[in-house]
Amino acid sequence: MPAGSPGPAAQSARRPPPLLPLLLLCVLGAPRAGSGAHTAVISPQDPTLLIGSSLQATCSVHGDPPGATAEGLYWTLNGRRLAPELSRVLNASTLALALANLNGSRQQSGDNLVCHARDGSILAGSCLYVGLPPEKPFNISCWSKNMKDLTCRWTPGAHGETFLHTNYSLKYKLRWYGQDNTCEEYHTVGPHSCHIPKDLALFTPYEIWVEATNRLGSARSDVLTLDILDVVTTDPPPDVHVSRVGGLEDQLSVRWVSPPALKDFLFQAKYQIRYRVEDSVDWKVVDDVSNQTSCRLAGLKPGTVYFVQVRCNPFGIYGSKKAGIWSEWSHPTAASTPRSERPGLGGGACEPRGGEPSSGPVRRELKQFLGWLKKHAYCSNLSFRLYDQWRAWMQKSHKTRNQDEGILPSGRRGTARGPAR
Amino acid sequence: MSRREGSLEDPQADSSVSLLPHLEAKIRQTHSLAHLLTKYAEQLLQEYVQHQGDPFGLPGFSPPRLPVAGLSAPAPSQAGLPLPERLRLDAAALAALPPMLDAVRRRQAELNPHAPRLLRHLEDAARQARALGAAVETVLAALGAAARGPRPEPPAAATAAGVFPAKVLGLRVCGLYRDWVSRTEGDLSQLVPGGPA
Repeated sequence: MPAGSPGPAAQSARRPPPLLPLLLLCVLGAPRAGSGAHTAVISPQDPTLLIGSSLQATCSVHGDPPGATAEGLYWTLNGRRLAPELSRVLNASTLALALANLNGSRQQSGDNLVCHARDGSILAGSCLYVGLPPEKPFNISCWSKNMKDLTCRWTPGAHGETFLHTNYSLKYKLRWYGQDNTCEEYHTVGPHSCHIPKDLALFTPYEIWVEATNRLGSARSDVLTLDILDVVTTDPPPDVHVSRVGGLEDQLSVRWVSPPALKDFLFQAKYQIRYRVEDSVDWKVVDDVSNQTSCRLAGLKPGTVYFVQVRCNPFGIYGSKKAGIWSEWSHPTAASTPRSERPGLGGGACEPRGGEPSSGPVRRELKQFLGWLKKHAYCSNLSFRLYDQWRAWMQKSHKTRNQDEGILPSGRRGTARGPAR
Repeated sequence: MSRREGSLEDPQADSSVSLLPHLEAKIRQTHSLAHLLTKYAEQLLQEYVQHQGDPFGLPGFSPPRLPVAGLSAPAPSQAGLPLPERLRLDAAALAALPPMLDAVRRRQAELNPHAPRLLRHLEDAARQARALGAAVETVLAALGAAARGPRPEPPAAATAAGVFPAKVLGLRVCGLYRDWVSRTEGDLSQLVPGGPA
């Protein structure tokens, strides 16, 4: 069932050919006087039809000498000869064709219906456009990069398959005043997208919609209303550095710089970090790294290479209440944790989503304890930082103890021969 | 013999009179350009037929070779003309082709809007025909055989009513482009030193 309004070419109308300027014509089918050649005219010329509909066409031969006959003429459609029972001779010079239940056009330039003479030569042609009117585009989403532009994407209705060339036009206007504007830069982030590069107002809502048009009709999406400030995204954080934390085997420090493009707009940024082991495809995500430009990942596997990425969400720009849109992830940065000298140090992660349970409960309990201590005891300087420093000290003193007891450091394997000198 | 840079009367007859090096280089360059464009023109023709749908491109497809305003195909009888005259015909054809190729591109932009390569190649072909035509005229001028008087403006490009005739017309224009570029290559090869006499 066709959606949207019917278009001007919905009927297989016989339209008169357009007026032509004073040019010599090359029109297939125009008779040439005195040439002794036969040509023909197919009617209708270039009809547009709905899938499943029928077509009645005629091929009328004329030429010199007069009295050209329709006997022996035949039809082809896209190069394939049509069955004789689909044709009938209407009169001496006209062959008719009846096609039913038409399929969608094979190519967007139109299906080639050709009338042939007995010897196979081409007398005339007409292009059929068989398809569907467009359905309503939907799912419009838009974002602004650093408040400078607006890019929108949408989904075509009916999965986009109309079998006809369908033109999509993104329109926008200021909500309470102004004229309709049409986006001009299409296909910037996929086939159904458009980019508005400039002249956008802030603090005032826009109405945005998409119009789809083809030979069989048109359809319009619902209107999306938005303020540019509510859909801002930005560049990924630059200068992401990942480094070891002293000798701590299960930790890495991540530092980055806030995206410079929005630094003057007084916003609070949220960040997310994700990391994975070198030969894994599973990322672990650290959420809600709020408005700071460093983070420490803990509970990692010793002696392991990790890839780390960071992204930014600029929210609260100029007082907007809405969350912004996450940037792309930064380029991956790699670093490795120091090798462990103690066997069996397994991986945990720093507050991952679905993190490994082995260190999770310990760390959680410690956090709760420290929180309680801060409230009820006079230990205001207690923090994870102190805990990490204690752990580093513990490892160092464990190493020293091993050396004193004659156990060689890793890398120099061999049988201990008494105390080290 | 007049002190011209060279002569097309019989370039191979007097071996003691050699073309000046820069003219020789120009002829070689123009011949190389024609050779390259012959390949491009063949590719353009193949690409064009693919986008029009069958029967275009099917073996044995033979639409009527209707005349195109302002340009006819190279005729076998022209092979008997003197070389300067053949090159003048080449230059005239190459000057007539760009508006026709532009018209084909405009029509294909309506019929095949999602064929950016085809549209780009049609645009390139118009530019290349212009460049080759200008290069041939430069060679002719250097040899003192340029056409006398102003060249007539090429007629406005022909158009066709109906989509199928427009497809056929575009095929014809692409075919003419290939034929004339190939003819130009052949004619220039007779000027290239060391080439066929």
